[in-house]
Amino acid sequence: MQHDPDTLARVEVRKQDVLEVFRNFRNRKAIRAVEALPERDGWLDRKEIDRLLVRTHWEMQRLGEEFYHGPRVYELLRAVIGAIRNGGFRGDLKVVDVGCGIGYDIRWLAARTELGKQGVELTGFDLNFALIHEANRLSAVERLPCQFQHGDAFSLDHAGHIFLSTGVIHHFRGPGLREFLQRHERPETQAFLHFDFQPWFLAPYGSWFFHFLRMRTLLARHDGVLSAARAHSAATLTEAARSAAPGFASGIYGAKIWNTPAPRVFHTLIGIRRPLIEGLGKALGRRARRLGELR
Amino acid sequence: MTLLLLYLLALLDGLLCGGRVSMGRCALIHKRAYYARALVRGLLGAQVISTIALAALLLVNRFSANQTVFVTDLEDAAERMLWVFVPYAVAVVGSLALRMIPSTDLRSATSVVALGPLTAMRPLLMVAGVLYGICGSQLLETRVLGLFILGLMLSLEYFLNRAAAARQRREIREVV
Repeated sequence: MQHDPDTLARVEVRKQDVLEVFRNFRNRKAIRAVEALPERDGWLDRKEIDRLLVRTHWEMQRLGEEFYHGPRVYELLRAVIGAIRNGGFRGDLKVVDVGCGIGYDIRWLAARTELGKQGVELTGFDLNFALIHEANRLSAVERLPCQFQHGDAFSLDHAGHIFLSTGVIHHFRGPGLREFLQRHERPETQAFLHFDFQPWFLAPYGSWFFHFLRMRTLLARHDGVLSAARAHSAATLTEAARSAAPGFASGIYGAKIWNTPAPRVFHTLIGIRRPLIEGLGKALGRRARRLGELR
Repeated sequence: MTLLLLYLLALLDGLLCGGRVSMGRCALIHKRAYYARALVRGLLGAQVISTIALAALLLVNRFSANQTVFVTDLEDAAERMLWVFVPYAVAVVGSLALRMIPSTDLRSATSVVALGPLTAMRPLLMVAGVLYGICGSQLLETRVLGLFILGLMLSLEYFLNRAAAARQRREIREVV
């Protein structure tokens, strides 16, 4: 799926062009997944692609549920909010999920926590209109206090005090990663939390096994495995954050299970304004052990 | 007693199949009712299969040359099957019980190291359990019946999955 970088309008995609890209990578699994995509006169069928994406995101939400991702996000977000409040901020806090898809994180926070009643505004952004439409539909069905918008989360029209994302940051590579992190440097932004796969030597195999078992669409299976393989190391993430967003102290949260050498499936790149570091440590309490060096 | 235990295990398997095929097909946050319906469907599916199996058993018994020998042979085979199925069921239920402990790490770990692999093992384990059960049986009827029931049990998830996929397709067509 492609978008016009200026207007964010969707651009039609020729199936053959996509196949050519993956042929150049000699990625046979991706080729098989693309070959299965519905087309019309050589162009990817918009409606069917939207349906496939919605279906795939329903499946991906299942992984989030199985890995208790909602509580994982809330654990850290609550501490960050606590630190910001203790720092003297009294107004409404805007939490923005970047590339939210069908908005599982935001909807979970809206449904399962009291954040809405505590002056926290929960918003998700995505470039895909079908996914945003689905996120809004789902939140309306359950009457959740959150909203989803089609567009660029970092655009000047939207102020975010805390930016978060899940499984998004590995899509940005090299200069793209720096540019993405640089965009957090806005006066109102107090912190960012980017959750993503943690790379280690077993991750691609574990991811393959798990996606093969749990996912039903070729797209979800392939994308999940590739995401684990493309995940950034902690060093790459922190180096990029520290150089691209120097106004924040950055580090990794939750890399290991119970302070053992065993890695968690997900780790989090956290960035927070320096005056809030002490408050974050206090708000985390005994979980402060999970926080790596912030600088 | 042995056959009753196998029946209860079949119901448990159906229940879990119903839950499994429903996962990833509803993106709401509050979905206790959705899962409850899915579990009931699985349970009903297992009940239908158990009823067909019972009918087949009674039919074979009716035409068996020696009904007493057939029943004894069948119970022996069922008992051997339990040596495979019961530990598996204990492992599955134990892993699910571990998820009651409120630790995200522990709960995630049960998915990765227990529930995932146990799900992958299910068809192989069913084949192994039934083959182990019937390999020591004396009568051809017992073996044929065992294989018939194996086919039924393996088809349960397939049919539940097809039905869930059809429901999901309809729902997605409505929303997109």
